[in-house]
Amino acid sequence: MIIFFTITQERFFTLSNFTVILTSSSILWVTAMGLTFVMIAGGFDLSVGSMMALSGIALGYFSNQLDLNLAVAIFLTLLFGVVVGGLINGIAIGKLGLSFLVVTLGSSTLFIGLTQFWSGTKTSAIENKNLQILAYESLFFIPNQVVVMILVYLILLYVQKFTLFGRDIYAIGGNKEAAKLSGINTVRIIVLVYALAAGFAALAGVIQDARIGAASPQVGQNLIFTATAAVLLGGTSFSGGVGGVSGTVVGVLFLGVLQNGLSVAGVADYWQLIVTGLILIGAIGLDALQQKRRSSAARAVSDQK
Amino acid sequence: MLLKNENLSGAAFFETRDVAKSYGGVKALRGVSLDIRSGEILGLCGENGSGKSTLLKIISGQIQPTSGTLYFDGREVNFKNPNDALKMGISAVTQERTLAYDLTVAENIYLSHLKPKTLLGINWKKTHEQSKDMLDRIGCELDTNALVRDILPGQAQMVEIARAIIGKTRILILDEPTSSLTSHEVEKLFSALRNLAAQGVSIIFISHRIEEIYAICDRLAVLRDGNLVSTGLISEYSEKKLIHDMIGRDPSTLAKNEIFQGADSLLRTQNFSLINKFEDVSISLNKGEILGVIGLVGAGHSELLESIFGLHGQRKGVLQINGVNIRVRNPRDAMRHKIAFVPADRKNQGLVLGMSILENALMASTSWKNRLVRPRSKKTDEQVRTYSSDFNIVCSSLDAPVSSLSGGNQQKVLLTKWLSTNPDILLLDEPTRGVDVGAKSEIYRILLDQRDRGLSIIVSSSEIPELLTLCDRILVMFRGKVVANLNRALADESRIVQYAMGQLEEAVA
Repeated sequence: MIIFFTITQERFFTLSNFTVILTSSSILWVTAMGLTFVMIAGGFDLSVGSMMALSGIALGYFSNQLDLNLAVAIFLTLLFGVVVGGLINGIAIGKLGLSFLVVTLGSSTLFIGLTQFWSGTKTSAIENKNLQILAYESLFFIPNQVVVMILVYLILLYVQKFTLFGRDIYAIGGNKEAAKLSGINTVRIIVLVYALAAGFAALAGVIQDARIGAASPQVGQNLIFTATAAVLLGGTSFSGGVGGVSGTVVGVLFLGVLQNGLSVAGVADYWQLIVTGLILIGAIGLDALQQKRRSSAARAVSDQK
Repeated sequence: MLLKNENLSGAAFFETRDVAKSYGGVKALRGVSLDIRSGEILGLCGENGSGKSTLLKIISGQIQPTSGTLYFDGREVNFKNPNDALKMGISAVTQERTLAYDLTVAENIYLSHLKPKTLLGINWKKTHEQSKDMLDRIGCELDTNALVRDILPGQAQMVEIARAIIGKTRILILDEPTSSLTSHEVEKLFSALRNLAAQGVSIIFISHRIEEIYAICDRLAVLRDGNLVSTGLISEYSEKKLIHDMIGRDPSTLAKNEIFQGADSLLRTQNFSLINKFEDVSISLNKGEILGVIGLVGAGHSELLESIFGLHGQRKGVLQINGVNIRVRNPRDAMRHKIAFVPADRKNQGLVLGMSILENALMASTSWKNRLVRPRSKKTDEQVRTYSSDFNIVCSSLDAPVSSLSGGNQQKVLLTKWLSTNPDILLLDEPTRGVDVGAKSEIYRILLDQRDRGLSIIVSSSEIPELLTLCDRILVMFRGKVVANLNRALADESRIVQYAMGQLEEAVA
């Protein structure tokens, strides 16, 4: 795909364009990372998009109304996401054992309502201009947004691969009953996973505010769809227990390159949606086909035993 | 009430000839020739694994025999699926419930049959009337408008039977139909069955309860190890002969045994009860012994082990370790008191199949660690490697997925997982289910070895020889109660069978 766009679009294969691809994917990237953990654990969180919008408004409130220091306001916003996600989604799903689809559908609607209520359905500029500067400054020639993306990825990769918490997530997604019988505190892990997903959605909300210099209630409406697409394209499945954040990076970049290539080529927005949708269904279908073949091969082997 | 029609049973109309079935290398049925006569009630007897269920599944078309033929009215028949058998009038009520809980009784009775119709669709009035007729035929009074969710387990069983006799039933197969019934319901069912038999329906009846077999059957067929050992009229079978044919030896007539008075009691349950599972169970596990618990399906022995490990929150009673009451509300509580549990269902409860051998083996012992530390280290890898070579786990590498292992090796991974938590008490439920003979004896060796090192073990199993090999003491459960506490020296297969079937009872301290 990259080759195709490079040959057909001369403006595609340039350093500045790759920077554009990366920075324009930052919100999707951060959200999809958190969602990856939820899906490895065999769950799902429909509310990340609306949590992102709600956190954006929260940041506007902390910074404008309360007139807090920017760092404090950002920290409070992240904490807000973690606590609200953990308390509502985490407790209802992990502790009370309710269906994650029902709970996050409900919390998603709740967050949308709160967003509208809190913002008065109006977009308000964030008075502290340092926030917007933060989004477009660079650290050693690397844009700050990209620095955040890489940090988020590396931290989650470490947690996934080298901590017991990471292994617990896979164990719960693979076989929750066995994980529980092994003494793993499944309730705590599940609460944490939903808290983290909401926390990263809140980080996405901070980035969103920084990019446009304002807190808007109108953002994040399609985020859950693209984030889910990126996670699925990256090889993490709804059934849980498989996948990882590295795959999600590939999924996010794939979608980013696709959208960028198509818009550089001047293709209309709706075609991007059509192509993305078709690719997602194709990729998932292919994966399901392979799994079917693999499991029937495995069955043939076990029959011979 | 009708007399038993021992001499009146009609001509044979259905026959299995040399029917055999193997699964891979395992022969479940080794050439059984059995005829079924019209209007008889045939009791099919045998221990677990004797081939009863396999034979029933073949007769009702659920599985196809590896060799041999079935004859119906003198013609060879070939059932490809249960529907083929149903068309010939053979219906089966299995042990599993197959009811739709949110539909009414009448809808369930007509679930797999076409309902009476009018021009405009289903004739509900007639559906309910005919359902009522079916229930009347088996002596069951039940509102056909009730939801199955709201009726009692015994009534649900009757609905299943009513559904089975809806067509022109010639053979009705009942697998353990009384397990969920009260004695009053059993009586009603039996008189209904006699009525059906008098109308010419042949009934194949399976029960673990000997007294029921004598109460209802005209003729018996006894299976053992996939062979038909004997058939004959019920009057030809004394209880002694029946048990002899089932287990292959004479039932012993030992005097009432002494209750084993062992060393110090480590774990004790007092008045343990779990609704519908077991009641008032008080057991004691001594230090360094292997205690066996056995019972028929539904006797409550599995649930007893699970409750000790904290799996059933609603159980009542007291649990003590070294005389001190402890609270166990979940597996973590149990593990805190150094209790380990290897569940019966390896694939759904024991292992995370997608993960590696190493990850599975370390899952329990790491459950107390800080969640931000590394899941493995050189030390833990080495520990698992030692176990795997001690236990002779055959694998390409410890990082291979645990799903690539055979059943026996998977079971050894589970033993590694739990022994590496250094437990004081190990609970095992069906430790060798689905395990080949070689691995079986290795697992026995491991358990006996651990016992000698001071580990106290409770094994629940449905295989009597397994418990006789392993245990110092055996508890037998029947319908949720401990009915016998047998010292190994006094326990033998036939006594255990008799206790497990509720034929012998003994006061247990």
